[in-house]
Amino acid sequence: MKKSLKAVMCVFLFLLAVGCASDQKPAEEAIKAAEAAINAAKGEALKYVPDQVKALEDGLKAAKDALAKKDYKGALSAAKDLPGKAKDLAAAAAAKKTELTKAWEEMSGGLPKMVEAIKSRVDTLSQSKKLPANIDKAKFDGIKASMPEVTKIWEDAQKAFSSGNLADAVAKAKTLKDKAVEIMTTLGMQVPAGAKKG
Amino acid sequence: MAEEKTDAWDATQWHEVKKGETLWKIAETYYGDGSLYTKIFEANRDTLKDPNLIKVGQKLRIP
Repeated sequence: MKKSLKAVMCVFLFLLAVGCASDQKPAEEAIKAAEAAINAAKGEALKYVPDQVKALEDGLKAAKDALAKKDYKGALSAAKDLPGKAKDLAAAAAAKKTELTKAWEEMSGGLPKMVEAIKSRVDTLSQSKKLPANIDKAKFDGIKASMPEVTKIWEDAQKAFSSGNLADAVAKAKTLKDKAVEIMTTLGMQVPAGAKKG
Repeated sequence: MAEEKTDAWDATQWHEVKKGETLWKIAETYYGDGSLYTKIFEANRDTLKDPNLIKVGQKLRIP
């Protein structure tokens, strides 16, 4: 009786070991495929959707950690959806790139006109013996002092664009747009319709 | 008929002349100083020949 129990136990342990080992290879392969898919997609994606890249890399890390702990089922489960998500990542990056390119094209055409109009108005008001009633002297002095900063933000945005950093270029252009709208409003100027969007 | 395209980023400010207004008065409104009327006159040389001759309803660029 004891002998047969031992034999059953041995068979059970053997089957358990074989079962676990049979999960190991699929898990390793799933991780390999996931890693390859993420690496292939992340180049452009890092520039445009960094948060989504991080989420995928966290998923890959979780799969690898499970594999290291010999939790093959957990590793397989964590890795199997990652290649599909990596594909979505490439699509998301492309969509974001299109959105940023459109925003940059619009702002890079419009912002120089706003900046020129502001410079011209500040120059004229600087020659005025008395400011109009709707313009506060302290505020005007602040605007006048901020003109070099306005120019610099625009130069930095153009530099970011030239170096291929579209997201940074658009962020800087948006900062400048907000500042330009604020200045134009303070000076009682006409804010272009394009600058009122977004 | 061709559709007129407007530039959404055009930063030009326009002023429509009202009865009794002069360039001096308009300059006072926008710049606080009537003597700066020449800025408005220069910006509208395409339509203004004489700074003393502006018409009601005329649209002027305010630089």
